[in-house]
Amino acid sequence: MSKKTINIPIGSQHIALLEPVRFKFECENEKIITVDSDVGFVHRGIERACTTKFKFDGIGYVVARVCGLCAITHSLSYTVAIEKLLGTEISVKAKYLRILLLELDRIHSHMLCLSHTCESAGFEAMFMRIMGDRELVMEIQELLTGNRIQFDYISIGGVNRDLSSEIAQKIRQNLYEVKQRALGYREEFTNNWSLSLKFKGIGALSLDDAYRFNAIGPLARASGLHVDVRNEINYLPFSEVGFVMQTHKAGDINARNLIRLDEIQNSIKMCENIVNGLPEGDIFTKPKGKPNGEALVRFEAPRGELMYYVKGNATAMLERVRIKTPTFSSIPAFSHIFVGEDYADVPAILASFDPCLSCTAK
Amino acid sequence: MYEKYRKKSPWILHYNAGSCNGCDIEILAALAPKYDLERFGVINTGNPKQSDIFLITGPVTLRSRERIVELYTQIPEPKVVVAVGSCSCTGGVFRDMYNVEDGVDRYIPVDVYIPGCAVSPELIIDGVVKGLDILEQKTKEMEKPFKLFQEATTKDGITSRRETPLRVGEDNEKN
Repeated sequence: MSKKTINIPIGSQHIALLEPVRFKFECENEKIITVDSDVGFVHRGIERACTTKFKFDGIGYVVARVCGLCAITHSLSYTVAIEKLLGTEISVKAKYLRILLLELDRIHSHMLCLSHTCESAGFEAMFMRIMGDRELVMEIQELLTGNRIQFDYISIGGVNRDLSSEIAQKIRQNLYEVKQRALGYREEFTNNWSLSLKFKGIGALSLDDAYRFNAIGPLARASGLHVDVRNEINYLPFSEVGFVMQTHKAGDINARNLIRLDEIQNSIKMCENIVNGLPEGDIFTKPKGKPNGEALVRFEAPRGELMYYVKGNATAMLERVRIKTPTFSSIPAFSHIFVGEDYADVPAILASFDPCLSCTAK
Repeated sequence: MYEKYRKKSPWILHYNAGSCNGCDIEILAALAPKYDLERFGVINTGNPKQSDIFLITGPVTLRSRERIVELYTQIPEPKVVVAVGSCSCTGGVFRDMYNVEDGVDRYIPVDVYIPGCAVSPELIIDGVVKGLDILEQKTKEMEKPFKLFQEATTKDGITSRRETPLRVGEDNEKN
């Protein structure tokens, strides 16, 4: 065998990729030796536009367009940061409704990731099955907020729409359905022989490496690292509605899938608790004043920790908005996992990270 | 033979030119069981050389504009370009940001515009079906026989097969 290596690029346009990203793999025979990634294809300049083009009360709807999948987490983080600066106290009901939508968004994002992982491993039927069931969640989101993807549900001071009893009934019904289906997936992901060939023991990240490369989100929790921002913040009452951190030990693709399934179950439980025990009250309190000072807010997006830094100077235009997104922080861990794996497994490994490049490039 | 199948089974190529993912996952949802774009014979391919319909999402960012033109030129004629979402139609919320080129039609000709942020799968289906009509029309136009030159005419003492004779040495030399 010669020691000659081959460079194989993936991207920027590829059937296994939803978004433009380019990886350059240096391979020796089938094994990958080094990885080089290029993520900046979708850079639009949103941070800059937030300080020059838009006033502070409209930015919540602009930053939602950073990413379509975790749109709600982006607008929520920004809104909470502004509320901190203005000193606005929002009602308990609005807080619960915010968690409800946050968790619904997590369910549909995780389901998309699971289906995409199956498709990348070549299991088209499972992709169709999960995508079909995902419509149940999309239906609820459309009923609750009026739109399927870009909700624009959260505004400074509360939320934009109330939850009526008919919608609550529909949410209960659909979530029950999704819960049963998700149990079925668990069966499939644990026992299906052809899926186990593609997922079990492949793309593994050990606990030490997860700690060393600063992995976050489901990627870290699949390796057994106890990190979840929902456990560490107090802006929203996550523990009251039944949040339990899910972890797994193996760290491979299968463990990541199981973590996502566990989180779907936990999120469904949280949503049901909220819908059943929603307190009475207003959903909106009018904010006063202009933001002055600095605020730092963290939230758990479906992919990991999302951080917002906002600096205002008592005018309508902000001085600085800084967004640190989950995929960006995980890139060192991604690159480490690829080394030593077969080239043929790359699409499945990449899909199991659930990368969000439009977040990363902003 | 190809014309017959192209009409029944157009293949689509999808490229994200700086979109927020919203439209992209709606395209996926349109291909999935509830809306099922595949009942029209539509298949999502990754290969521009086998595609008929080009779906573009997102306002064109500076780095993706070369790729768009490259992919467009690789698709064989006849082809239909569909701009999916408000951003790819006009730039949307990203209009006038420093790294954004305000819409696809600055670089390549667009046949169908689908508005909305994010577009709903119903609209995507409508747009693709509309694109099918345009594809058929373009196919017919390509097949229509046409003359390369007109009959020879003599005008102003110059014999030419062109409609307006070419005059050498004139200031506004046309044709």
